[in-house]
Amino acid sequence: MKASYNWLREFVDFRLPPEELAHALTMAGFEVEGMSRTDNDAVFDINVTPNRPDCLSITGIAREISAILKIPSRSKQVDIRKQEGRGPEVEIGDTRLCRRYAARLITGVKPAPSPEWLIKRLEAHGFRTSLNIVDITNYVLLETGQPLHAFDLDKLSGRKIEVKTAGPVKKFHTLDNEDRDLNSEMLLIWDAEKPVALAGIMGGLNTEVSSSTVNILLESAYFYPSSVRRTSKSLGIASESSYRFERGADINNIVFALDRAAALIAEIAGGRISGLTDVYPGPSAARHVRISFEKINSVLGTVIPESFSEGILADLGFEVEREGGGFNVRPPGFREDIQTDVDVIEEIARLYGYDRIPATLPSIRMQPAPSGKKTGIIKPIKDSMTGSGFYEAINYSFFYPDALDKLNIPPADSRRDLVFIKNPLRKEESAMRTTLLPALLNNVALNINRGEKALRFFEVSRVFLPSNKSLPEEVVQMAAVCNQETSASLWQTRHDGFYDIKGAMENLFKVLRIRDFYLDQEISGLEPYLHPGKSCSIISGGDKIGSLGTVHPTVLEAFNIKGNLTVLEILDVEKLSRHISPGTTFLSLPRFPYVERDIAIVVFKDITAEQARNEISSIDSDLIESVTLFDVYTGKPIPQDRKSLAFSVRFRAADRTLTDAEVDSLHRIIVERLINKLNAELRS
Amino acid sequence: MLNDLHSIKDLAGDEIEKSDSLRQVQELRIKYLGKKGIITGRIKSLGAVSPEDRRNYGQLLNEVKTYIEDLLCRSEKTFKAAELNRTLQTQRIDVTLPGYFIPPGHLHPTTQVLDEIVDVFTSLGFHVEEGPEVELDFYNFEALNMPKDHPARDMQDTFYITDDVVLRTHTSPVQVRIMKNNTPPLRVIAPGKVYRCDADVTHIPMFHQLEGFMVDKHITMSDLKGVLEVFIHKVFGTDTKLRFRPSFFPFTEPSAEIDISCVICRGAGCSVCKNTGWLEILGAGMINPRVFEMAGYDPEQYTGFAFGMGIERVAMLKYGIDDIRLFYENDKRFLEQF
Repeated sequence: MKASYNWLREFVDFRLPPEELAHALTMAGFEVEGMSRTDNDAVFDINVTPNRPDCLSITGIAREISAILKIPSRSKQVDIRKQEGRGPEVEIGDTRLCRRYAARLITGVKPAPSPEWLIKRLEAHGFRTSLNIVDITNYVLLETGQPLHAFDLDKLSGRKIEVKTAGPVKKFHTLDNEDRDLNSEMLLIWDAEKPVALAGIMGGLNTEVSSSTVNILLESAYFYPSSVRRTSKSLGIASESSYRFERGADINNIVFALDRAAALIAEIAGGRISGLTDVYPGPSAARHVRISFEKINSVLGTVIPESFSEGILADLGFEVEREGGGFNVRPPGFREDIQTDVDVIEEIARLYGYDRIPATLPSIRMQPAPSGKKTGIIKPIKDSMTGSGFYEAINYSFFYPDALDKLNIPPADSRRDLVFIKNPLRKEESAMRTTLLPALLNNVALNINRGEKALRFFEVSRVFLPSNKSLPEEVVQMAAVCNQETSASLWQTRHDGFYDIKGAMENLFKVLRIRDFYLDQEISGLEPYLHPGKSCSIISGGDKIGSLGTVHPTVLEAFNIKGNLTVLEILDVEKLSRHISPGTTFLSLPRFPYVERDIAIVVFKDITAEQARNEISSIDSDLIESVTLFDVYTGKPIPQDRKSLAFSVRFRAADRTLTDAEVDSLHRIIVERLINKLNAELRS
Repeated sequence: MLNDLHSIKDLAGDEIEKSDSLRQVQELRIKYLGKKGIITGRIKSLGAVSPEDRRNYGQLLNEVKTYIEDLLCRSEKTFKAAELNRTLQTQRIDVTLPGYFIPPGHLHPTTQVLDEIVDVFTSLGFHVEEGPEVELDFYNFEALNMPKDHPARDMQDTFYITDDVVLRTHTSPVQVRIMKNNTPPLRVIAPGKVYRCDADVTHIPMFHQLEGFMVDKHITMSDLKGVLEVFIHKVFGTDTKLRFRPSFFPFTEPSAEIDISCVICRGAGCSVCKNTGWLEILGAGMINPRVFEMAGYDPEQYTGFAFGMGIERVAMLKYGIDDIRLFYENDKRFLEQF
């Protein structure tokens, strides 16, 4: 809402300079967001909150200033002495949607451009100007807050007005020259035959005031806020008029605004004013709000004296009576927002000054925090991933389903069940994502494009899966991506990027104390966006908890990524806590030394290191303490279809120093087992 | 005879002191203490000394021997140390070559700021709770005193899934969800993502908020001021000023907006604070009794306050980030600065 300093001074005699007035308004809840200076005047841009439609006008703001500064305000005097003939015939067909309708006729007007002072004032307040009659309705809207509309009387069939819903009428042509699609509930203004305006929103082209207009009908009415809002929303029209009606006009101000405009029209555009038509079933019962003195200070934490509160309320135009231990308050008609005692408390606090309320710390009753929060696992995950060199990314929760095609996700996959947004800003943001990967792959592509090379990103965010409950299921996932170049400078190139991301996973599981898991290369469980030979599922407790692997070349191509990329995905972060191993039990430190022996074997390539290790570990002896892989070798002189695995095995007894003979005998057992079970040869 | 020993002692001391290499010292050791050395010779011939002189002579001989021994050891040690030092000097490396480490990653600035804020409030006894991001219209609006067709809904452009399901526009719906399932006293913060159907230079369709609320008997607006003052001073420093001014939120009454003195220009006026010296940072207020009614609480028995803030806004002010769109582009050069 724009308001001019000089215009405000027509209603209150304040002497504060504009900056100080702006500050006073801001501190009373009318934030002045900007101020522009014109010759001899300043125009404030005031943020009027939705609960205060009464301040969407110069007089409304002036009333507030009067209360803030404790300076009386005055109002304009309107006196229509000569009235010619009766007012127009008006019928309210739907009293649920229109509570009051007042009108006058003005005959013999001369439409013309407005005088300069009027044009200046409207333009300073952000209004476009047109013919004097229309300009005056806008001027009075600005001054009083009451929207008005002028019809060309000679185009009103039957010279009468009826207020009723659209019913069967499907279309209406508004004065901005647009065809509007109506629904039957929308409230319209009709003449004897046809609709002539969208009530409270915009007039029709068919009865618009033009330069050839001679007689007009001037409307001032109260339309119900929710009705105007519904119509305005569904048609997508927001006007100065609808903005005020949907927040609530001042029903007691309707005739005053009508008369103020009629008098100005007669003065500026000439014409004779008719008698008044005012269809008003009558005011609703006055609202009373009771409030105890004690509650005022107990809500605010203040010691405001009763008389002080009483003074504030009186300054705001409230009728205040003392009753028992409190006030019985009757707010003015334009303060529809005052419904309960806390609304009154806010008024007192607002003008008392929020800055005068002391700052205290509450005394609290202690209570333990709820334990076992599933989200507690997120922080260690993020810390572990950053420890492994990953940057945390955060992406929008929406995506476009073609991302699933790019990931090779098959049609029947549950990730294809999407939650769609009805009104997305862009097509690319039209569904809630069911996987974190597309966004991370896009992050990689964008960074490569900008010349960044070594990339490690991870994200911990929710994905959204349809459910048969009222809301979708929200699952927290973790996904990480890593391109090979990060490690290429640190490790030997024989290291496939796979082992980088696997290292990150192992570190993560170590931090989380998830020890009971294995990697499964069973093809049917592998993700379609991963390389079928370089990927696996992570299985724990019989459940697939995630995936690990190199991204499929076709996916890299679809996302326009050159080079290698590996992925780690954890499907349900909050469920990970189920797989955490129980807490630590101390083992006493060994008192006797260990003996270490290396065992190098040659096996067929499809034997995994894990298989060989398991064979060694499964030998029934308390003396094998640990088995560690220390080398994998392919190439001469090892036959092409085989590889060499070298393990270091550590032996130890709890109660004595082992003898060479004992260790030799165990070593032989291990070698025999590897030969028998894995078809291994001992490498000489 | 004793004079003979004195002159050996003097000579040896002189020679050892003048020696300039480990080798010379070792030769002197042989000369004096070796098998055929001077001192060894004197010891061997001790038997030839007359019994009356032997005691004094023997004692002095022993002293001289110890003296020479000490000098030799000290000298050898010095030369050995110097030699080792020379060898080590030749093994000099280039210390300016880069070290070997896995470069640590970075937490997103939003996470860092959120963690910091959460820590402040948990230290004051608040618990962290969460709610769904896809939310019922009921919790997002109606239970917060914003029925359908309420103009206050214009303050938040909403993404709709269906007529009754929205992407939450703020973290406030967590308030009602928590209140419904718990009894006071409550001290809760609820961080998370929120969504607004709004995107331009200063807006992005997804951002983060942190909601906080406290409900008990006798909670006052001055308590709200006290708690927020602690928070602002912890995050922005104790010299940051706060300004509470009246505002409107359907779910609080009285409502307030909280400004802090501009952290960029310290109140002098700059482009970030639009020359006002103040920055808007929080919305807050006393929980509207209608919200208590929705949650099934007796508004005559309980009072409470609630507040909410945009995390990106805090991060932008803390780090001086001037474009909100940078947050979720995930440019490595952006992320690695935090």
